[in-house]
Amino acid sequence: MSKDSTTPPEGYDVQREQMLNFKVPEQLLKVLDEDGRSDDKNFILTTVDEVFNWARLSSIWPVTFGLACCAIEMMATSATRYDIDRFGAGAFRATPRQADLMIVSGTVTAKMAKRLKLIYDQMPEPKWVIAMGSCAIGGGPYFKYGYHVVKGVDFIVPVDVYVPGCPPRPEVLLEGLMRLQDKIRGRKGKFITPKWITDYAKKIPYRK
Amino acid sequence: MDQKEIYELLAEKLGTAALGFNDEGVEAHADVAPKNIAEACLFLRDDERLAFDQLMCLSSIDWDGYDENGKGKSVKILGYTNEGQPETSDRVGEGDFGVAYSLYSHSKLHKFTIRVRVPRAKAAVPSVAQVWSTADWHEREAWDLMGITFEGHPSLRRILLEEHWEGHPLRKDYQMPDKWDNVPLSGQPYSNNPFPTPVVTPDPTPDQPAGDDPVEG
Amino acid sequence: MAIENIKTNTGWADQDHVPGLKSELLELNMGPQHPATHGVLRLVLHTDGEIVYKVTPVMGYLHRCAEKIAEGVNYKQWVVYTDRFDYLSPMTCNHAYVTALEKVMQQEVPERAEHIRIVVSELSRMASHLIALATFGLDMGAWTPLLYCFREREVILDLLERISGGRMLYNYMVPGGVRYDIPKDNWASDVLDFITMIEKKKLKDYNELLSYNKIFIGRLANVAVIDPETAFDYGCTGPVLRGSGVKFDCRKDDPYSLYHKFDFDIPVGLGEMGTVGDCWDRYMVRVREIEQSCRIIRQALESLPEGPYSALELKKPVKAPAGAAYSRVESSKGELGHYIIADGGQTAFRNKVRSPSFCNLQVIEKAGVGLMVSDLVALIGSLDIVLGEIDR
Repeated sequence: MSKDSTTPPEGYDVQREQMLNFKVPEQLLKVLDEDGRSDDKNFILTTVDEVFNWARLSSIWPVTFGLACCAIEMMATSATRYDIDRFGAGAFRATPRQADLMIVSGTVTAKMAKRLKLIYDQMPEPKWVIAMGSCAIGGGPYFKYGYHVVKGVDFIVPVDVYVPGCPPRPEVLLEGLMRLQDKIRGRKGKFITPKWITDYAKKIPYRK
Repeated sequence: MDQKEIYELLAEKLGTAALGFNDEGVEAHADVAPKNIAEACLFLRDDERLAFDQLMCLSSIDWDGYDENGKGKSVKILGYTNEGQPETSDRVGEGDFGVAYSLYSHSKLHKFTIRVRVPRAKAAVPSVAQVWSTADWHEREAWDLMGITFEGHPSLRRILLEEHWEGHPLRKDYQMPDKWDNVPLSGQPYSNNPFPTPVVTPDPTPDQPAGDDPVEG
Repeated sequence: MAIENIKTNTGWADQDHVPGLKSELLELNMGPQHPATHGVLRLVLHTDGEIVYKVTPVMGYLHRCAEKIAEGVNYKQWVVYTDRFDYLSPMTCNHAYVTALEKVMQQEVPERAEHIRIVVSELSRMASHLIALATFGLDMGAWTPLLYCFREREVILDLLERISGGRMLYNYMVPGGVRYDIPKDNWASDVLDFITMIEKKKLKDYNELLSYNKIFIGRLANVAVIDPETAFDYGCTGPVLRGSGVKFDCRKDDPYSLYHKFDFDIPVGLGEMGTVGDCWDRYMVRVREIEQSCRIIRQALESLPEGPYSALELKKPVKAPAGAAYSRVESSKGELGHYIIADGGQTAFRNKVRSPSFCNLQVIEKAGVGLMVSDLVALIGSLDIVLGEIDR
């Protein structure tokens, strides 16, 4: 097999070579810089940024991750009186592979922490986390004598929005969701090139 | 049936193993020697006059530091400090362990409570899981949280905590863990104001009012 | 476990196996994060693909150390933690704790406080049964009852918010009475209006929509039958026991508070659609209990006496003399009991919580054998467990 001229020699990684030889095409160099990132000052790509962000924030699909009492308030938020579906977030997915939001509603215990991280890792990018309720924010009422309670979910996963309350009213959770939507609206320029390509591009010596 | 009569029937069956009957407090309870508890429970369930067919509750008790005078000066448990770190202490626990069985009969409509006491060094009680199947999980929980071994239990393993957890939390000398299996269990320091308002330096150029009025100065 | 020895509902496992062919049981994990397990419960199933041969529940994913906290905080401060046991009907959990504590303290409670306690407990029980119906329907694939039941539950939560200040978790009862009196803005007449609406219109709606629905009955009749001896042996109480035909209710047979003054029935499973003790019976017991709760609330509000709403001053700490007692109430899931050992101070020496869902769940190891996986989901839904109670 190694005598054949079409197979590469051993130790040669085809994919790595392709990634290292990545070059931004000539026509696009006018609107992108050499690393493939877009620039704010460019009108066309800012609008595309806005469109992508608007699409993401209008259809944030949460994964069903109700742990304790706050889960019931999350269910009440998705019921008829405080409809969460009008924000586009009503399709609760059972599997994390199809979700982009994890609402950690309830107390995180030491036994559950590993499984929570597993679910978080299975969610594809971009993903956000809302810490709902005082137990997820900072251990809640189990702060002082809780030997099995993790004092806040931010010891395990990075959190974007903290929603206080014990349990928070549905209106408060909706306010938290709206703040998360504001956060998404402000994201810039992350859609053109995936980060792993630009990282490799930076390592090439003749690039800046 | 009266509590005293039930105890007399039990004492008749057990002989010297029935250690006493205490009906001074709110609820009367009988003290039984630990070795004979399974036999006692079997008798209580099968006898037609007693017919205790439901074990309502099986409680594990740590008598360490109990204030016998009734003044409320029992030993305090250890928790986490305001800095979020576990409190430590060199005190070694002493005192017995106990198990309290609360029984009920659906047909005769009477209740009864039995207590056993075992020394701390050798905390082993025969299991009553053969008598009432519900005791299976109750005893696993007593083992998990208090550390009392139940001999003859089908599979005595932890039920609420993870299998390789160290220590038995409901004991009075248990120190809170700082971390377990890389999961951090200590917290952030408690402060009276977790969201302090930032000190804002005054703006050097004050706002211009809208309209025709000019700014002073 | 030999496949031929398992008795199943459908009899599939009794077939002869082709000699020379080997089959193994699959160990499947219905993990802590699952849309149908009512919380963070993990079930390890040994199944051949459809029929379950062994089911082992693994709990503890919500163990919040409540019994240890009881040894650290005051009696009155611990009422907050009782709400979090059965967070679907928190007033009954409050009631269980204060009843047990008052037995140890030998404390009298004024009649007005008892009436108020009964009214809010029954409202909480109704709220919990509404969620039980809703989620059970959801597990069986019916999406509409969820929205209907949550709509009624929002009205109950509004009423309880007016009286206690909290929407879902109340911290409302104290040993000796309740924290706040009934508000003066027509609260009692609003409750009576709500009950009339439930009795006259809504229960009929739920029955037409879900209970007597042919598909629902087809899924639940004759599934997971629990006979009374198994129920007694495993310590099952509440609708699980009553669904098996046993007429036992702590409110009638071991009365606490003022339940002996009120006139209400105890619904029992009769095997109308299949066998006595199947899933449909347990479900129907809950629907009929909603009706009985309405009766109790009406009688309690119509005979509400004047008087103080708390025997002890609310600002003073509570002390209990040395002693121990076990006392139980009928919560919406079954018999919730506390074994409290007091030492004369402001903090409990030992407080053991006997939760109904912990004992009800144990029966799944026996009743779940031989079911199909979807029937196992029906069994869990009909047991109506709450993980806050199981793990405490």
